[in-house]
Amino acid sequence: MALFPIHSNFERDFVIQLVPVDTDDTMDQVAEKCAYHSINRRVKEQPSKTLRVRHHENGTIFPRDMKVSEAGLRPTETLDILFMEN
Amino acid sequence: MAILEREEWYDLTRTTNWTTKFVTEEEFYPDEMSGHRGIPAEAWETYDEPYKVTYPEYVATQREKDAGVYSVKAALERDAFVDRADPGWVSTMIAHYGAIALAEYAASIAEAKMARFAKAPGNRNMAVFGMMDENRHGQIQLFYPHANVKRNRQWDWAHKAYHTNEWAAIAARSFFDDIMMTRDAVATSIMLTFAFETGFTNMQFLGLAADAAEAGDHTFSNLISSIQTDESRHAQQGAPSLKILIANGKKEEAQNLIDTAIWRAWKLFTALTGPILDYYTPLESRKESFKEFMLEWIVAQFERQLLDLGLDKPWYWDQFISDLDETHHGMHLGIWFWRPTVWWDPAAGVTPNEREWLEEKYPGWNNTWGECWDVIVDNLQNGKPELTGPETLPTICNMCQLPIVGTPGQGWNVKDHQLEHNGRLYHFGSEVDMKIFQMDPERYQNHMSFIDRFLAGEIQPMDLGGGLKYMGLSPGEMGDDAHGYSWLEAYSTKKSDDAA
Repeated sequence: MALFPIHSNFERDFVIQLVPVDTDDTMDQVAEKCAYHSINRRVKEQPSKTLRVRHHENGTIFPRDMKVSEAGLRPTETLDILFMEN
Repeated sequence: MAILEREEWYDLTRTTNWTTKFVTEEEFYPDEMSGHRGIPAEAWETYDEPYKVTYPEYVATQREKDAGVYSVKAALERDAFVDRADPGWVSTMIAHYGAIALAEYAASIAEAKMARFAKAPGNRNMAVFGMMDENRHGQIQLFYPHANVKRNRQWDWAHKAYHTNEWAAIAARSFFDDIMMTRDAVATSIMLTFAFETGFTNMQFLGLAADAAEAGDHTFSNLISSIQTDESRHAQQGAPSLKILIANGKKEEAQNLIDTAIWRAWKLFTALTGPILDYYTPLESRKESFKEFMLEWIVAQFERQLLDLGLDKPWYWDQFISDLDETHHGMHLGIWFWRPTVWWDPAAGVTPNEREWLEEKYPGWNNTWGECWDVIVDNLQNGKPELTGPETLPTICNMCQLPIVGTPGQGWNVKDHQLEHNGRLYHFGSEVDMKIFQMDPERYQNHMSFIDRFLAGEIQPMDLGGGLKYMGLSPGEMGDDAHGYSWLEAYSTKKSDDAA
């Protein structure tokens, strides 16, 4: 359990932002922490959609329950947060 | 005593060169300072500056210019234009002086470097005048805002900005350090005078002068037009250097210097000049959009000049042209959203009428940046101002030191160009920023962006308050909405009009 900085590239937002997450966070928790800085600030909510986390460079969608520590991420790596059907 | 006409003695006198006895020529003009690149002195002696001036002529002309601008200032001082100017225009001036005044002063040191170390006698001669020009620009652009310090502490940032770690000041310093303070004399003549001053300062000073005259600010308009007359003279130092480099087999190196400087200047202008021209300047005073100014002053001019010199358009030209529609809108939105972190009060510039203008100038604006602004407007109208301010930091590009932005909403295309180099992960706002780094990593690799400093623990406490303290921004200096959010009334009026 340790603080782990990532950069959030949130769908429909205009800027990438620094977001501190925890190595024990699941990808759903990562998405939630990123959403805090974009949704209802500059991005409209989409209640029918689920937020999913995607690797910025290779496009892999991470499983929702995968932990940050299991994802092979480098500190400060950029992640895409997307609105998806599930 | 007979006085010779200038053309009878100028070339001979100017080309008179030193013959060193106590040191070698290389010791006198070390390559790391002069940038002669092994090209012999005889070749540098062919440097032919297109604008020739003598010291007495220079002094006489400058005296007249100064008499002109200072008398306009004195005549209009009692008019107190600043007190009745649109707040967006006041922000324009405060942002301009903070970003420009001390950079001008630093430029006099860059000119001094050319005056001492350029191997081309003509360059040394012109740079002496350039050095005095830039000294004038530093002083006059500190003197004018100083008169307003009594009105608001933000005016003091004309002098203060470059002495702080405020993020925009870091970005501006990074750019100017790269193109003029840490380069040899020849590279400085190309990057500072050819790439930056012929196009970009032209736009900042003439574009802004046009808007200033429209806005009724004749003091500012007169001042910056006067400065530009100096710039257009000393900006001509780069082209003769380029001709010598090209004639001596250094075209590729010359091209790289130009490509780097134009891109870095462009990025800085997306944060400094783009928001001013398209958002802060009152709608009725806007002469042209930022993009239109860019197309006229930068794109057309460089395309012509580069071709004339036998150089190519920078390799990223298509990307650059397409970014004219995008990047500065993101910089503006970012500056407004993170408004406590700048030394001026950014004007939102997004009333329904202004949005109509933006849509006309940048088709698709409402479906992209407009979507983000819709959420901001909703929050302000519904009593949630806390959602219109920052609680974290934007990701900063390790080249331009500006936020990494892209098109939002329906055209979402934001991308981080990441590069792992010597075990460190770098972030870049574009492929071009990354390529510039890759061409010369030793030059850039140790610089710490604002985010790098934050993560290294240099900024304490690690929150907005700690960040503002690190940036030197105190209450009364940090930015807020220029119009005190009064522009929201236009939305309520529009709503009632629509309902009726």
